[in-house]
Amino acid sequence: MFSALKLKPIQMMHTGGGGGGNACYTYPDAPATPGLTTADVVFDRSAHMNGSITMDDGRTVRMWGFNTGGGGMGGGGMGGGGGPFPSPAMRVTEGQIVHTRLTAGMMNGTHTIHHHGIEPSTENDGVGHYSFDVNGTYTYQWKASHAGTYFYHCHTNTVLHAEMGMYGALIIDPPEGPGTLYSGGPTYDVEAVWACDEIDSSWHALSWTAGTCGGDVGLNDLNPDYFVITGVDGAQSALTDPGVAVTMNTGQRLLVRYICAGYLPQRIDFGGLTATVHMSDGRPLPNPIQVQSLEASSAERYDCIFQPGSPGIYEVTVEYLDWVSGETLGTARTRITVQ
Amino acid sequence: MKRRTFLQFGAVGAAGTLTGVGGLLSWTPRARAATVSAVYYITDGYVAQPDGLNVYFKGYSGSSSSLAVPGAPLIAQEGDTLQITIVNTLNSDHSFVIDGMVDSSVIGAGQVQTVSFVAGSPGSYLFYDALNAPYNRLAGLHGGIAVMPAGSSNELYPGSPTFVQQSIWVMTEIDPAWNDRVRRGLTPDTTFTPRYFTINGRSMRVPGSADYGNPDIDSGYHPGTRLSGSIGDRTLVRILNAGMATHSVHFHANHVEWLARNGEIRPDIWKKDSLMLPNNRGSLDVIYPFEPPPDAHPAVTTGHYPMHLHDEMTQTAGGGLYQFGIATTIAFE
Ligand SMILES: [Cu+2]
Ligand SMILES: [Cu+2]
Repeated sequence: MFSALKLKPIQMMHTGGGGGGNACYTYPDAPATPGLTTADVVFDRSAHMNGSITMDDGRTVRMWGFNTGGGGMGGGGMGGGGGPFPSPAMRVTEGQIVHTRLTAGMMNGTHTIHHHGIEPSTENDGVGHYSFDVNGTYTYQWKASHAGTYFYHCHTNTVLHAEMGMYGALIIDPPEGPGTLYSGGPTYDVEAVWACDEIDSSWHALSWTAGTCGGDVGLNDLNPDYFVITGVDGAQSALTDPGVAVTMNTGQRLLVRYICAGYLPQRIDFGGLTATVHMSDGRPLPNPIQVQSLEASSAERYDCIFQPGSPGIYEVTVEYLDWVSGETLGTARTRITVQ
Repeated sequence: MKRRTFLQFGAVGAAGTLTGVGGLLSWTPRARAATVSAVYYITDGYVAQPDGLNVYFKGYSGSSSSLAVPGAPLIAQEGDTLQITIVNTLNSDHSFVIDGMVDSSVIGAGQVQTVSFVAGSPGSYLFYDALNAPYNRLAGLHGGIAVMPAGSSNELYPGSPTFVQQSIWVMTEIDPAWNDRVRRGLTPDTTFTPRYFTINGRSMRVPGSADYGNPDIDSGYHPGTRLSGSIGDRTLVRILNAGMATHSVHFHANHVEWLARNGEIRPDIWKKDSLMLPNNRGSLDVIYPFEPPPDAHPAVTTGHYPMHLHDEMTQTAGGGLYQFGIATTIAFE
């Protein structure tokens, strides 16, 4: 059983509108970190629930996420002014002891940070119903043992909170630093992080209670209407957005850290370029594989090296697939321009 | 209306050797092939879902008065003769199929049929009803079978990485509207929109909820589903998808060694924390190594973690109720 941990569901609130007064399954707490030591690197994050992004069609979609900073109760580091999507990346070096200090609770609801692919103790794994949902400030302590590509996301009522945008990239460099994928692995000159996600804007009108306080709120049925790459609309903007589209010189080596950040299966096609996949999920492949496209499922990561031999403009497409029929529900596009 | 008492995992029919103690598949290899027998009763009834809705199912059950979804798992070794008796207690046609191994063809209403076949290549397979496809399978007529290499107790295939214990996870999705059409002998006429998600016939419960910790109901505590081990207790997990949706299986605390997909041995063994589970009878075979969680500081050897699907719609029930879906607990004892 869970003897070391407090696991008391708190009936924080009741569903509105005479919905029957179901309990909310949440486990608010902010205990001391077991075995807290000095960290090599510290990330401060505070949860917010009032961000937004504007799509290519002009519509604004509400987003939740994590800001840098924190320390005050209620995630007020940014004064309630929303925050970026995706959340700010974390980048550390293999071997470092890391503190992720999350401030949440009060006005902005309880949340957690799960470092996906990082494998720490139960208390530091950030899964609400196995430990606690942060209400106050908690320091997640973990050690970066394996170089590679990861991401972090909220693991409170994950189905809603991750869809709302509560995630960011997490990169562990080998001791050699950026420019090497892992010790003994390939080097690279140019780097891109493509976190590909689908958005069902109808879910983005839901409240913090939806899905954890009873009732049918439609969270079994995702019908995405927007398709983004690293927070940028893949309809048009991602083709040229400097944070997504790549410009490089012939002879350079490009590393694409591809993160399947949505819930539906995806097919990414590299527009005629050949990728050499060296790692997946933060572990080197025994033998790298060469592909022109990849299929991925939720939360998989693939680290792809490109070394184009001639100039050209290569259009990369990400198809988001229906989980039953396999048909393409939407497409996001970006570009690799080789000069 | 028949109500399930609870699933009789490991208690099917005549063959006490089929499943073992602790809910994990147990197996003692033999020098020679043998005959393995089992009886399944095709029955129907209702199973209460986490939000209280009673949903209609058909199953390969352990007796004429019970309902098992999925059917109790089978285990045999390559070359064994499997003798499976199917007693169809219902008023509709059904069948018993293992791709590449056996097809009973139509077993009519009220009929009893015994199929006899040789266990094929080592691996993990789904047995299911191929009639009225895919509706009968989705209504619950499915289960898992493990075929061990001859004479081996610790390999998926001859020469594979070894394990010390093994388990079968049969996952599926449930659209109650479809199950109700099957009950009425009608063909579903709506788009498949699953509302419940089960692993070995059960959904997860969270602390504070009714049935939390009930091993018959809570997939996090069901002994045939929950992974329990100490450091070094390498566990083979045979993951079978009886449903229609492609999923992503995510393990916490350890990466798994990925051995096979859809019954095909992988050319290299990749270490993964998230893996695509193909739909419509797709499968994955992985070893969960029960190594100390590598990123813990200070180091730990005990703890509780989830395995859950990362296509998070599967973590809901009835359109809400987060974490009442396809998940279980991985317990480092
Ligand atoms: Cu959250
Ligand atoms: Cu995750």
